[in-house]
Amino acid sequence: MTSERFLALVAAYGADARRWPEGERAAALALAAARPDTAAVALAEAAAADALLQASRAAQPSAALRDRVIASASAAGLSAQRHGRRWLDRLAVTVGAGWAAAACAGVVAGVMMTSWLAADAQAEAVLYEASLLGVDDTEVLG
Amino acid sequence: MALIADPDEELVRRVGQGDPAAIQAMVARKLPRMLALAQRMLGDAAEAEDVAQEAMLRAWKQAPLWTPGQARFDTWLHRVGLNLCYDRLRRRRETPTATPPDQPDPGPAPDRGLLAAEVGARVDAALARLPVRQREAIVLCHYQALTNIEAAALMTVSVDALESLLSRGRRALRQALADIRPGAEGA
Repeated sequence: MTSERFLALVAAYGADARRWPEGERAAALALAAARPDTAAVALAEAAAADALLQASRAAQPSAALRDRVIASASAAGLSAQRHGRRWLDRLAVTVGAGWAAAACAGVVAGVMMTSWLAADAQAEAVLYEASLLGVDDTEVLG
Repeated sequence: MALIADPDEELVRRVGQGDPAAIQAMVARKLPRMLALAQRMLGDAAEAEDVAQEAMLRAWKQAPLWTPGQARFDTWLHRVGLNLCYDRLRRRRETPTATPPDQPDPGPAPDRGLLAAEVGARVDAALARLPVRQREAIVLCHYQALTNIEAAALMTVSVDALESLLSRGRRALRQALADIRPGAEGA
């Protein structure tokens, strides 16, 4: 690399070697090391311009802008909302299935409870009848 | 033709499928870049928001159609953003009453050091006064960190011409802000 090319490179891209074109970076760094006096002045001037440029702060997107942009994805035909709805649908199916299962469980429990209650009632009836019979027998037997 | 490696390829594919997480990630990755590009090209916050929003809308439309390997998505998006900026700059020229908001250089503060925000505002004002092609070269190479080849391609100029624009733009900025000593901010 010539000194002229080095000066042109630094004037265009600045003092930070990471911004130099990749294909010329090594040669430019070698030249800067070999001719520090030539390089130092150009690098100092370029660094001052770099510092000024860095003082400009980029605006950050507001939350409102972010929301509008995300909402625009569905307007553009992307299935952001549909995708979301698919999840909602899945959720609805899951919840529905849960309710159905709960209802079935309730029916089963009710039937079983009824059976148990009926059995209890029957047992009590039998015992009652037996006791009645017992009384009767006692009475009969005296 | 060699395929171009694109760090956004997988994300674009997922966006094209309507993956909400990918859409959020794309917004986080690209919206700040589009907003910064437009703000520095136009020097107007409201217009920059409009441009950034429109560029992202076009990204949503493009994502399902995107063919990987032919170009980087980020470069394509910059082309969209720049075209939108140029549309607005053209409209300003055609409508004299709709001139861009003037950004007068406030000049040096008389009795005190400049705060970093003041230096930033002066740099922005000086950038806004540069010829548009010089501004574009600086914005693409310095702020958007595109390679010289990408920036030159976007501007449809040679790399030599791009370097000339960069050098002249940086020199003009230094001259416009000659009263600011390096490191003077925050003094």
